[in-house]
Amino acid sequence: MPGVYSPVMSTDFQCASFCKNAMAYKKPSLKRWAYSKMVKALILAAVSSTAIAEDFKPNFSLILDGHYKSSNSALSEYEKGFGLGHVELGVSAAIDDLFYGKFTGVVHEHDNKTEFETEEAFIQTLALPGGFSVRAGRFLSDIGYLNGQHTHSDSFVERPAVYRAMLGSHYYDDGVRLNYVMPTDTFWTIGTEAFGGNKMRAQGLNDPKSVGVYTAFTKIGGDFNEENSWQLGLSYLRNENGASMTSGHDEHDHHDEHSHSHDHSHSHSHDHGNAHSHSHDAQFTGKNTYIAEAVWKWAPDGNYKYQNLTLSGEYLQAEDISETIKGNQKNEGFYLSSVFQMTSQWAVGARYGEFKGYEAHGDHFHEQKLKESEFMVSWSHSHFSTVRLQYTRQTGDGFENIKNDIVTLQYVMSLGAHDAHTF
Amino acid sequence: MRTLSKLLLTSALVFPVSSHAALTVFACEPEWAALAEEIAPGATTYTATTARQDPHHIQARPGLISKMRKADIVVCSGAELETGWLPVLQMKSANPNVQSRNKGLFFAADQVDTIGKLEKVDPTMGDVHPEGNPHLHLDPYRMVEIAQALAERMAKLDPENRDTYLANAKKFSESWETNIKRWEKEAAPLKGKNLVTYHSNFDYLLQWLSVNVVGDLEPKPGLPPSTQHLASLLNLSKKTHIDAIVYASYQDKKGADWLSQKAGVPAIELPMSVGGSAQSNNLISLYNDLIKKLLEVTRRPENS
Repeated sequence: MPGVYSPVMSTDFQCASFCKNAMAYKKPSLKRWAYSKMVKALILAAVSSTAIAEDFKPNFSLILDGHYKSSNSALSEYEKGFGLGHVELGVSAAIDDLFYGKFTGVVHEHDNKTEFETEEAFIQTLALPGGFSVRAGRFLSDIGYLNGQHTHSDSFVERPAVYRAMLGSHYYDDGVRLNYVMPTDTFWTIGTEAFGGNKMRAQGLNDPKSVGVYTAFTKIGGDFNEENSWQLGLSYLRNENGASMTSGHDEHDHHDEHSHSHDHSHSHSHDHGNAHSHSHDAQFTGKNTYIAEAVWKWAPDGNYKYQNLTLSGEYLQAEDISETIKGNQKNEGFYLSSVFQMTSQWAVGARYGEFKGYEAHGDHFHEQKLKESEFMVSWSHSHFSTVRLQYTRQTGDGFENIKNDIVTLQYVMSLGAHDAHTF
Repeated sequence: MRTLSKLLLTSALVFPVSSHAALTVFACEPEWAALAEEIAPGATTYTATTARQDPHHIQARPGLISKMRKADIVVCSGAELETGWLPVLQMKSANPNVQSRNKGLFFAADQVDTIGKLEKVDPTMGDVHPEGNPHLHLDPYRMVEIAQALAERMAKLDPENRDTYLANAKKFSESWETNIKRWEKEAAPLKGKNLVTYHSNFDYLLQWLSVNVVGDLEPKPGLPPSTQHLASLLNLSKKTHIDAIVYASYQDKKGADWLSQKAGVPAIELPMSVGGSAQSNNLISLYNDLIKKLLEVTRRPENS
């Protein structure tokens, strides 16, 4: 998240630079300092009569993200071969002393078609009284640990399987957020959001609600000591359009006579194609989703430049997944991730995740399972450039393209504004 | 009337803190916490980093958000030193007091002229600061100016204690005037010495003391010392006399040690801020220790 410094400058500040320029590059002495105060006062008198133009400097950033993948894999946005990931263009700045604004556009490539999506276009308040803030527009929901972060700061090529299945990799939508930070010594924030929820609609809905998603979340965190920091969070997502509606008989009958034989690779080809054309729609939804998150970070002396370790994990569970099919099946999954930065340029990481979900077919569910182990090595020449090699092993049942061995070589580079990252 | 005065009396008893400890200070680096304590000894001061942590690479930790949430003033170096984490803290803390540079956001670099400003910045130059070198707490003259500006800012935010802040700034500048004279006398033998440094951390200090920087362990700002670059520095050491290699308390010493061994030049860790060495407990002892260590390390070859 780039700078939120207010562009409004005081006459004081303007003068500070003026006055110093007048005595350019001479070593200041105490006498000169006294003199400079006089000059400062004179200039101040001169400038204060004229309006001072706002020094408006928005942050521009372009993220280039590309890869080569050895084969197709399950629940992936990326296909075999060369491809582009999240190519992002961002502009952000404080609008005035009350509002901050940000825009992020993303370019996707699917089946040789270029899609342009607005991923973020929001305003946020900067000056509500103590601890409150409101965000409105299109933005990333703050549920869970990874969801609120930008994918280009991730340590692995794609989000964990459970995120890809249940949140469409990362859930962003049009809506509004109210957030409050408690005035406590230990960090404690609570927030709530309302969204349109188009990306989270279950299949077969005839009359979806226009405000479909409500969330509530809380995060607490702090430092154990100088070297160790932690954060825990709980989130709840209410999705009015999250339970699927299917008719009493199997809707796949018309094109697959053997659907009851549970020929998954065949009967799911339709769904799979659908997932590709709307890459950011969640495939596995439910009326009530719960997320628990935990993060622990360590760096020797708390100095993150050379070495640091990040352990993180999340568990997601969606209940009430169908209006029409009885049963208490739940979509659920988790991941555990550990990333160790060994030197200022090299990092290694391992992540393990599982997902189990149910797709409604007529009067029954099809169970689908995916287990994923990932190992990565990354090299960052500078803050702005990262090259990553990742090995992924998938096993499971019911998904198309479950592949045992996948190797991906990826680059993520940023041009422009120095990016600030969240914890 | 009597009820009103009773009420006032009670409230004064219940909330006696309003006159002292009026400000809560969030300092990005230990040097600014130390300075804030000189100007406002009664304030509650929190330091976000230690002298063992590279302020370019701080995590926007939850613990820092909660501290910033309660701050009346945030005191930082500025000149983009904290650009990787401070904006996140400002936004996440949702504290309206510390959002703008003419209120509770105080950047030391805004108060004085910085060295090493760049007209044009090109990413191939590495991790550079177009607004100039942010490590300006190591120039004592600039510190006096910053102390005055900080006192004025604190007075603006907390007019009740205005006199205390301004008086403390005056006391600070008087004490520094004496110390500057002493330091300049003590450090006279350092004039003209040649150092290899790591990043531009000590540029203000070395410029003040007329010490030459003949090489940098970083091939480009922000990049770690590469083998190739270290070899070129070794070559340099054969042509140019190098008195010492210095690096900051939060920097990796491997590169410096390698060059030190190969070139036969002493290397030394210098405290980057208050708390960066056993001897540096406040700003004055930080300067004392820096000068003492520089004198020791550059004197060594003549003795042996």
